[in-house]
Amino acid sequence: MDKKLKFVITGHVDHGKSTLIGRLLFDTNSLPDGAMEEIRKTAEMLGRKTEFAHILDHLEEEREKGITIDTAQTFFKTKKREYVIIDAPGHKEFLKNMITGASQAEAAILMVDLNEGIMEQTKRHAYILTLLGIKQLIVAMNKMDLINYSQERFEQVKKELLAFLDSIKIKPTYLIPISAFLGENVAKKSDKIKFYSGPTILEALDTFEKTKSAEEKQLIFPVQDVYDVDGKKIAAGRIESGKVSAGENVIVLPENKAITVKTVEKFLENATSASAGESIGITADDFKFERGQVIAAKEDLPTVAKTFRANVFWMSPNILKKDENLILKVATQEIPCKIEKIERRINSSSLELIGENADRLENTEVGQVIISTEKPVVIENFNEVEEMGRFVLVKDMDISGGGIIIK
Amino acid sequence: MIVVFAIDALEYNLVEEFRCENLKQKFSGKTDISEFSQPRTMVLWSSFITGKNKEKDVLADGNREMWGKKWDIKETFFSNFKNPFVIDLPGFSYDTKVHGESRRLLKEFFETEDDEKKEKIRQQYNRNAFEHHKKVKDEFLNAVKGGKHDFVLGYFSIADVIGHLNFGNRTMMKMIYRELDDIAKDIKSKCEKLFITSDHGMSAIGQFGDHSNYGFWSANFEVKFKNPRITEMAKCLK
Amino acid sequence: MDHLSEMESRSIYIIREAYAQFKNIAMLWSIGKDSTTMLWLVRKAFFGKIPFPVIHIDTGCKIADIYRFRDEYSKKWGVKVIIGKNEEALKRGVCHKDKLECCTELKTIALKQVIAKHGFKALLLGIRRDEHGIRAKERYFSPRNSDFKWNYQDQPPELWDQYKSKQDDEQHIRVHPLLHWTELDIWEYIKREKIPITKLYFSKNGKRYRSIGCDPCCSPIDSNAKDVDEIVEELKTTKIAERSGRAQDKEKAYMMQKLRSLGYM
Repeated sequence: MDKKLKFVITGHVDHGKSTLIGRLLFDTNSLPDGAMEEIRKTAEMLGRKTEFAHILDHLEEEREKGITIDTAQTFFKTKKREYVIIDAPGHKEFLKNMITGASQAEAAILMVDLNEGIMEQTKRHAYILTLLGIKQLIVAMNKMDLINYSQERFEQVKKELLAFLDSIKIKPTYLIPISAFLGENVAKKSDKIKFYSGPTILEALDTFEKTKSAEEKQLIFPVQDVYDVDGKKIAAGRIESGKVSAGENVIVLPENKAITVKTVEKFLENATSASAGESIGITADDFKFERGQVIAAKEDLPTVAKTFRANVFWMSPNILKKDENLILKVATQEIPCKIEKIERRINSSSLELIGENADRLENTEVGQVIISTEKPVVIENFNEVEEMGRFVLVKDMDISGGGIIIK
Repeated sequence: MIVVFAIDALEYNLVEEFRCENLKQKFSGKTDISEFSQPRTMVLWSSFITGKNKEKDVLADGNREMWGKKWDIKETFFSNFKNPFVIDLPGFSYDTKVHGESRRLLKEFFETEDDEKKEKIRQQYNRNAFEHHKKVKDEFLNAVKGGKHDFVLGYFSIADVIGHLNFGNRTMMKMIYRELDDIAKDIKSKCEKLFITSDHGMSAIGQFGDHSNYGFWSANFEVKFKNPRITEMAKCLK
Repeated sequence: MDHLSEMESRSIYIIREAYAQFKNIAMLWSIGKDSTTMLWLVRKAFFGKIPFPVIHIDTGCKIADIYRFRDEYSKKWGVKVIIGKNEEALKRGVCHKDKLECCTELKTIALKQVIAKHGFKALLLGIRRDEHGIRAKERYFSPRNSDFKWNYQDQPPELWDQYKSKQDDEQHIRVHPLLHWTELDIWEYIKREKIPITKLYFSKNGKRYRSIGCDPCCSPIDSNAKDVDEIVEELKTTKIAERSGRAQDKEKAYMMQKLRSLGYM
């Protein structure tokens, strides 16, 4: 079985996210036995049958127990593999919470209520998904039952949505008409939605790929800290991509110094190599390691720069001003920086261009900016190595914005 | 016909959270029970039906013996009606046997140390509550649909009884609120005025439920109050 | 990478990050399975040489086996232990008879005293998201102000392994490296790594402790699981919540008192 695929469900609140989650769990029989039994017993004592609404009630409670305003993780499985649903809230105030959740996803489902149509949050979430680099996208056109399965209405909303998505350069992988409440086209093919013959939500999910294994890419090992252990100076950190072995010749950036890896350190193990995802240590002779350095394979070095272009989304009520002092955090690097230029300032839901050459970004706005750093920083294009292509901006001790490097 | 849907421990915040539109009706809010030293069921309902603060009188019988108290109909607002029908209401037509048994099991639950035995008692306690609820529901719906009375009041204790031992089980509570909402939906078209009220609400203490310091009210007709004292409410039922 | 290794690496990253950002930190060790697992991860993170102390809050009520375990392993692993004890309250006779006061005085206040004395900027705690209720709202790095209050509605965002680092002097940050672990994960990791665990967790006379706390507030559960393998098996099939021992006792005590005053009992 493939490893778990994480995806996020986003969109306006009340457009059916929880119902869809309920359906996915219910139809794949992924509800824990204990819960089902309890619901059945209570329904029986009330003299009623167990209704799907009861299941939804239960799931909502389960999630609310921990996460009224935060994100939650729910699991289900198909024959192909296991899935983790990162459920992001739809409320505007909790945009930053939504971003925290979506940033871990490898695919997304965007909910659209066919009855109500496209809302501000729908657009904002779609835009944020692109900024987070999520390319595998299913648009779930929900509540087909409430519009009487009208193909006309479906096509109308579909047209409007595709036009919007096109303007932000998204091409959804799938666009599926469903009724989460009745279970049409979620796990079971619908015989009521006659004009559609494409895959169900589950079938669509099963076609998605997990992001390419980081092991197959070039070595990138950001140094998190340096420890003195029994006379050995160990550079500790997590390998973000690739592999490293003792005896290998590598380059340390931003200094651009060539060194030879003496040992690969793993506590209580005799290791000679390590690969992506592992938190380990390395040693080398005659070299002073420091937090923030990036160790890379010499065949394919990431970029070292002092200015770069990026898409930034601002998520603090504290306004982002051009030229003010901020801190940039990329992997383990932490460097003072300034926004040198805000080339475009955009309203993230209407996508209205608020201005070119702007002087600020306000909460929930997005900008295409030029960032300049006080010292050279090691980065990569987000599309090439995600870990080195995304960053956060800290203002007044709080993480206030996030962004993606587009060179 | 004027109908009062009296729900013990119906919690305002849950009616909101669980989106019980039929319980909420057109006008709703919290009741003011701050004049009482503790949110006691017997005291509150007695005060509701008589229109006076009856705390002293009820407690004079003793904290545990008060459950048997019955007010004469002339002291209550029911006397304003020709043919009132009041089901199971504390202080008037309370089924002391069923509710006494329920309290006995509650005590046994807390006094037992053995986890397995506790579970058995809880199951029995819950089952009894649901059984009684079904009986009251049937009687209530029949009375409302039958049309023979000018006033019907149905007292539902299920949220309170189940809540005491299971309030932390939100799934169960949600199913109960959904059930109550469905009852409201069922009767709203069958009466001229529908008034829904609770003596107090409920707040969670882990898995258990404690009485909260305000009640709930809602009406499908215009009323003069926003945050009424429980002794004032019956004035609107004419 | 397999599931456990991925979680292990993530926890080590968080632990190392906390040290790099705050330097003057400490870890809370209750000798229970979660914090002992966290201690194991801390050893791994720093290659056996832990650069900060470990705090054990001694409420004076704990079971003898706990002290034995603490002393044995702190010595073996070269761990510096700071014992936090609210001597003043213990002298006054504060004990489990009033559960709420007991926990506040002997645990919370004792911890406050230790933090004040050493000026720790951050604390590592072994709490997990799948434990009861409000803990699921936690973040990996969670600020607490000087009164230990926590504004859980306005949590700092955590994006791409970047966590809140700087803070005002008044605050201390709580770091939760085990947030994403479930109870089953912890036991499977203990099994894989052969982490030593106090034998209170294993069945004796048909009972074992699922959760370790103070003697009077912790009830054992029925179980015949004698070792880690059996515990893992048992967990895979059981439905009883982990904290059924501790927290519920407090709630029960409160409810009995309240129901009595309301005339129910």
